[in-house]
Amino acid sequence: MTNKALHTAWVSLIGLSIASTLLSLPETGSHWPTASGLVVLLLAWQKARIILARYLGLSAAPAWQHGFNLALGALFLILSGLFFAPLLG
Amino acid sequence: MTSGSENIFDELPGELLIWVLIVSEILVFGVGLIVFLSVRLTDPEGFAEAQNMLDRTGAGINTVILITSGYLAALACHWTRPAERARRRLALVGAAVLGSVFLWIKGSEFLAKSASGIVWDTHPFFNFYYMLTGFHAAHVIAGVLLLLVVAWRDHEGTTADAVAFWHMVDLVWVLLFPVIYLLQ
Repeated sequence: MTNKALHTAWVSLIGLSIASTLLSLPETGSHWPTASGLVVLLLAWQKARIILARYLGLSAAPAWQHGFNLALGALFLILSGLFFAPLLG
Repeated sequence: MTSGSENIFDELPGELLIWVLIVSEILVFGVGLIVFLSVRLTDPEGFAEAQNMLDRTGAGINTVILITSGYLAALACHWTRPAERARRRLALVGAAVLGSVFLWIKGSEFLAKSASGIVWDTHPFFNFYYMLTGFHAAHVIAGVLLLLVVAWRDHEGTTADAVAFWHMVDLVWVLLFPVIYLLQ
């Protein structure tokens, strides 16, 4: 892992965190709560993938990275389902 | 080519035990969040009202602090040459300091909630809020101590393990932050 890759990962994580916070502020997210909720969860999944790949070094073990990405994807799918369930009712 | 005698676990970066810990923590906090959102189904309006009492911007700032701390820890792990020892130790101490700032902000948040009469049994939302973020804060305390220990007595192997633990703390926060603070 190069310094540049670590720096890019850090900048991406900061950007994704700020974006998800801004999306959830009452001034922005309240206009379209369903869409902002979905985007916030997708951004969180992306952040988790970056930490696993870049900081924990799974990019050097593609099979494990794929497995972790699938497991986290399943977790976020369950969380999304539970989040959207009241909106469907 | 992978020979038959090689183990798939050998492909994992770092110690196998730290990965067992990472998977265990993801499972524990993942189940916690699933139960949290399941209980939310019984009272979505009450959960939204309770969540509005949290400081989203403060939590966002704390996220940036923890992520930056993780970046410093990753840099420390990257600087392995003897000539880089001073900057490695400085990065580890910097990561620990930022972890302490995270704890200070989190502690202030807990104190402010408590002072305004919001405690763990005010609403089911706050059961999960205190339990999940409190349990995470306990991990942050352990991580800060580990980072300080390896900054003091640095060794490549132990530094890598402590830094991996710190990234796990980061990873768990990335799961908690949107579900507890942001999703409405």
